Amino acid sequence: MVTYIVRRLVTAALILLGASFLVYLLTAASGDPLAEFRASSAPNKQQLMDSRSALLDLETPAPLRYFKWLGGAAQCLVPFAGSCNLGKNIAGQPITDALGHALVQTLTLVTGATILAILVGITLGIITALRQYSTLDYGVTFMAFLFFSLPIFWVAVLLKEFGAIGFNNFLRNPEIPLPVAIGIGAVLGFVAMIVAGGDAKRRALTAGIVFAVVTAVLIYFSVTLWFRTPGFGPVVIAIAGVGLAFAVTLLTAGLRNRKALQSALIAVGAGVVAYFLIQPLLSQATFLMIVLLAIATVLIGTAIGYFVGGYDRGQSMRAAAITSFLMGFLIVLDRFMQAWPAYFSNGRVRGRPIATIGAGTPNIEGDFWILGLDSFTHLILPTTALVLISLAGYTRFTRASMLEIMNMDYIRTARAKGLSERTVVMRHAFRNALIPVATIVAFDIGGLIGGAVITETVFSVRGMGFLFLDGIQHVDPNPVMGVFVCVAITAMAFNLIADLAYSALDPRVRVKA
Amino acid sequence: MSQPSQQDEIVAEQGSLHRQQAAGIEPVIEARGLSQGQIVRKRFLGHSGAIVGLVVFAFIFIMAFTSVGYAGIPGWWKYSHEAVSPLVNGGAPTASLWPPAWGEHPFGQDRIGRDLFAMTMRGAQQSITIMVVIGLIAGLIGVIVGALSGYFRGWMEAILMRLTDVIIIVPALLLAAVMAQLAGRRDEGSWFASFASTNGVLALGIFLGLISWVGLARLMRGEFLSLREREFVDAARISGASNARIIFKHILPNAVGVLIVNVTLTMSAAILTETALSYLGVGVKSPDTSLGLLISQNQEAFSTRPWLFWFPGLFIVLICLSINFIGDGLRDAFDPRQKKFNAKKAREVSSPLAPEKIPATVKDGTAEDGTVSGDNRGG
Amino acid sequence: MRLSRISKAVGVAAAAALALSACANTNTGTTPTSDAAGKTGGTATVVEVNAFNTFNPNTADGNTDINSKVSYATHSGFYYIDNQLNVVRNEKFGKMEKTSDDPLTVKYTINEGVKWSDGTPVTAADLLLQWAAFSGYYNDADPDGKAGTSYFSYAGDPTGLALTDFPEIGDNNRSMTLKYSKPFADWEIALGGPGIDIPAHVLAKKAGMADTQEFIDHLKGMPRGDAKAPKPADTKLKAMADLWNTGFDSKTLPSDPSLFLSNGPFIVKSINQDQSLTMVRNKDYNWGPEAKLDEITVRYIGSAPAQVQALKNGEADIIAPQPSADTLEQLKALESQGVTVEQGYQLSYDHIDLNYSGPLADKSVREAFIKSVPRKDIVDKIVKKLDPEAKPLDSQLFVPAQPAYADSVKENGSSAYQDVDIDGAKKLLAGKAPEVRIMYNKDNPNRVDAFSLIRESATKAGFKIVDGGLGGSDWGKALGKGGYDATIFGWINPGVGVSGVPQIFRTGNGSNFNKFSDPEADKLMDELIVTTDHGKQDELKVQIDKKIWESAYGLPLFQAVGVDAYSDRITGVKFMPNQTGVWWNFWEWAEK
Repeated sequence: MVTYIVRRLVTAALILLGASFLVYLLTAASGDPLAEFRASSAPNKQQLMDSRSALLDLETPAPLRYFKWLGGAAQCLVPFAGSCNLGKNIAGQPITDALGHALVQTLTLVTGATILAILVGITLGIITALRQYSTLDYGVTFMAFLFFSLPIFWVAVLLKEFGAIGFNNFLRNPEIPLPVAIGIGAVLGFVAMIVAGGDAKRRALTAGIVFAVVTAVLIYFSVTLWFRTPGFGPVVIAIAGVGLAFAVTLLTAGLRNRKALQSALIAVGAGVVAYFLIQPLLSQATFLMIVLLAIATVLIGTAIGYFVGGYDRGQSMRAAAITSFLMGFLIVLDRFMQAWPAYFSNGRVRGRPIATIGAGTPNIEGDFWILGLDSFTHLILPTTALVLISLAGYTRFTRASMLEIMNMDYIRTARAKGLSERTVVMRHAFRNALIPVATIVAFDIGGLIGGAVITETVFSVRGMGFLFLDGIQHVDPNPVMGVFVCVAITAMAFNLIADLAYSALDPRVRVKA
Repeated sequence: MSQPSQQDEIVAEQGSLHRQQAAGIEPVIEARGLSQGQIVRKRFLGHSGAIVGLVVFAFIFIMAFTSVGYAGIPGWWKYSHEAVSPLVNGGAPTASLWPPAWGEHPFGQDRIGRDLFAMTMRGAQQSITIMVVIGLIAGLIGVIVGALSGYFRGWMEAILMRLTDVIIIVPALLLAAVMAQLAGRRDEGSWFASFASTNGVLALGIFLGLISWVGLARLMRGEFLSLREREFVDAARISGASNARIIFKHILPNAVGVLIVNVTLTMSAAILTETALSYLGVGVKSPDTSLGLLISQNQEAFSTRPWLFWFPGLFIVLICLSINFIGDGLRDAFDPRQKKFNAKKAREVSSPLAPEKIPATVKDGTAEDGTVSGDNRGG
Repeated sequence: MRLSRISKAVGVAAAAALALSACANTNTGTTPTSDAAGKTGGTATVVEVNAFNTFNPNTADGNTDINSKVSYATHSGFYYIDNQLNVVRNEKFGKMEKTSDDPLTVKYTINEGVKWSDGTPVTAADLLLQWAAFSGYYNDADPDGKAGTSYFSYAGDPTGLALTDFPEIGDNNRSMTLKYSKPFADWEIALGGPGIDIPAHVLAKKAGMADTQEFIDHLKGMPRGDAKAPKPADTKLKAMADLWNTGFDSKTLPSDPSLFLSNGPFIVKSINQDQSLTMVRNKDYNWGPEAKLDEITVRYIGSAPAQVQALKNGEADIIAPQPSADTLEQLKALESQGVTVEQGYQLSYDHIDLNYSGPLADKSVREAFIKSVPRKDIVDKIVKKLDPEAKPLDSQLFVPAQPAYADSVKENGSSAYQDVDIDGAKKLLAGKAPEVRIMYNKDNPNRVDAFSLIRESATKAGFKIVDGGLGGSDWGKALGKGGYDATIFGWINPGVGVSGVPQIFRTGNGSNFNKFSDPEADKLMDELIVTTDHGKQDELKVQIDKKIWESAYGLPLFQAVGVDAYSDRITGVKFMPNQTGVWWNFWEWAEK
């Protein structure tokens, strides 16, 4: 194992060295660094060109410049020396600074999107695999391929037009006309009909219920101007909590496990009580506090499960822990909604909350909730765009993996011995289907910091992609190399992690030392 | 480009494990008495999505290549993508659904009066050309590299796989920028520059092909690693077959499923790559055109002259969708295990088959990882 | 983009020259009282393309538009340039007067009470620092860069101030007098504005000097640099120059407030790296036009559609996007929601130049080619949507804003090329079919479209047009190197800056890419550069313009159009043709 890792690391270092040399030469050859001065009629044209040449050290041939760069970059390997030198960009900023900033920008932009895409993609993949060749399967496949086929800048422009400008206009007077409410209800009812399985009668019933509920809720929202002053309140949280408790128990333990259901419901009750107790505390929230509270919530849930017990204590604990975590999530969500009116009427936001550009409103001031909402309103559009286009990969991949597993012998054995479909799917198939998915996920996370060049451009986020592109446009190898080295190292590290994870998850696979 | 597969040394063991399982258990009821080709054809034709995709793609293909002509052969459409004609109706599309009419400029005109239908058709030609070129080159190199390293292993594998690693981590965008720079030079006199400047699209396709084979090569290597351990390969070796014969006659036919599926999906990703590169200004250059260039040039016209944006965009989506569905159909067709699954059928008893008869399978979905990966276009 | 570095330098020169040549009615002694409606206080968000990176916009590497604009808002000086391209004096700041014509002597006096935001008064030392940096007085680096030192890396053109001797400091360090060895037409904009941006006392302190007096004495003690006899570098000056060159570079707000001192209406309050920059009102400021807004936020958005959508969504108040017909139309559509759109000409124009060699060496062939260029069509299709009144540009040296333009157009014979004359071109060609390779920037859609239209039309006349377009990074290198017969590209108003004229049109000069050569024109240009009288300059330029047209040099095509737009929250924004853009009167911006 250790020899394997060491061997991989050594090869990786050699590859990095070779590839970085290649990238340096390519960047240097990718254009004319003096292009902007060539067609100038300025009398001091030559002087400007000389000064740029000196800045980029153009007198030195590119291969030699690479070794100069390498000399500086090598200092980064010395730990704690703080003498990391990746050169400067044309604006005179050290690349290490620029990279640090760009990295934060990019991670804020893509982390949420990637996590969401993975969660939604895997869920959809499993559902479509279980209903292979159904209307739902075709529908999801079509949508996934459709979104995959859309150029992202196109998606971005549409999202800005309707998701931001349109929605903000709507918020000015958030009344939903009755026909629109009915229309949305009908569409969602139709979707529900497709999603719901079973015979025609059951489908029609599902569609009818969804239609009625959605329409009623929309009318309620419209009458109470809910979008201006959104919120759940304890009642809705309690009802939603009970629903969640049933759903979570169904997935983790099966409804037949009464003890598990019991502990989940107790967790909901505890959540509702906590809702009232915790409000004053939440008003002084910090990010760390929310994290600690989340951990506490899970621990409390586990404790509830432990004490309720039952024939399978683990299942109860799991059900209660997940339920209480979701309850906590609902409470935090509700708190964010309570802060919405204050954010909405903030002098810097001026009643147009959903933003089309940037990562935050400049100079906005406020507590944790206001700032959190500000990040949310700025990230929602790019995140949606990124999720839509990257959904296809995860969906199709999980579907294929799941289908393969469902045709395996041991699944048939599991069925043959009379296990419930839930147990077969959740216990036997789902986990094994995730093994190949896990490697892909690890790999994607490795590629995350490369940034999304076009998304960054369209949403005016100056992250890694922008740094890279800007470097190429100015034929300035330093930023390009900085981004490249970061991306390559993470990609290779996660590639290694993916392979190790594979062997850890699938005991049949052994790494060759 | 396409996402590199996650396999490495591990894959060998893992792959053969899967194979052994697959060999013993899988009931392929429809396969009784049919050849592999027949099964695949039957399954493919039964896949409605793929058939629709095939029809749509064929339609676009024929329309694109006959309407404005190709390689000097004139087409039936009256305008060329470069010809400027007076603006009709402010450049708005003249086609109407009811009454059905084609009009002078069915898709409208751009600001200087070029016919958008001709431009879109030319763009579709270019995009299809890029796609096919990439598919061919990436397929060919991917097969050769994958086969050699998977079959011979040893130093051959070490060298080829390290080469693959280097190409995987060098950013495609940078390569495209260098390429665009070279294609922009025409007075340098080198054969490459002169070729690139006269055949911009072809050069771009070849270049993208030269870097998109890496994912495929890794997959093919995985296939070869597992297939070379199989009994029928041993049998061939014992009966004195040469390495070349074993590779081409025995192993490759069994890996052809993975190959075809991945090539189609690489192709659909290629169109989007071209779009992204054109958006960033390093793809196809005007006055020649491609679908990607058309929509990125006209993105400002999004709300004012939407036709400039929607028609080329529609064709990108259609081509991409149809290729994806064809690929999906092929994958299902080549993979005997991916049949309709339900609990009842799963309990049925089935008859075992000789291992050779089982077509090559797409190993646990890795087939897809070189292809429908979101992030190569996430850009 | 970084192109703005030169374009700004040229633009300012051009603007000033234009102002001088146009009317010479420099609004001396008045600070305009703004009459725009709007209350005092409030905030505005302005969109810029590039991100801020240095507090010194004068260095070769820091001279991007955004740095200059931030500097403009946070510093004041003896003058600024208004949107009629007049030089407007700011007498509340100080007095700039020409005390003698021969030798040209200029005296700068800074008023009492003008001070930096740390309380230190602005003195002649600050002006002296600017002079030392702009004039390159102490540089003694030889052309090979082997010996000597080049101290300040200044982006602008030092030729004017290089004519001056070490200035005389007087009036208790409040005044400075410059003496030119030769008349210099642009003396008004050579020094002291629009902002005195680098504080000498900060630089002196950081370079280890006691105070500004020591700084002045130190500079006084140093002789003029001589490239023929380079000396070892002066450590103190070198330290100051290095600080001047890079010490003010910062993408975040420096922890040392002396690095971003203000002496103008605003002061930088916060910088969110690569996202935004916020300036608030400078409380002390009362020596110039007073700002109405309390706070200006600058946000960086690259693409034009994103800028328009940001304006539409209320995230931006003032934008000046890269103009295109579609952008303009989108903006016009926003007028219903209260957005005001302004357009005007910018100081750059596109033109096609013919080489005086190859297939076009023969004047009749050049004439035939010019006759076949569909200028009206090009203007109609490329600029008309932006400006319904657009007409082809008819002079190589003037723009329509200048009074001399009309005279020059009457004289120069451009009337012969108003319409496409395919028959005339055919007659001139007499059956020949010359092959013409046209070079242009493939990455600029306007040039590509102009090429397509010219190809269409010239082919009808019998020319064989070869597409010689090159990529964005290559076409500039190819200029003047041959390999093409005609080229389409843009100048940033070269005709108006007097020194720009010979640079482009004189035999053998650096930017004379098509090798135009006319002995008489050369003689006229030699006269032009030593002429300081503006009326005489115009006369000479009209004659030169005529010579250029007579030799079938090529054709100017159209002037670039600029656009800005602002939301209904804001008033007082006015279009400006030069690189300062809408910022020129930022003090008049107000919230409604």
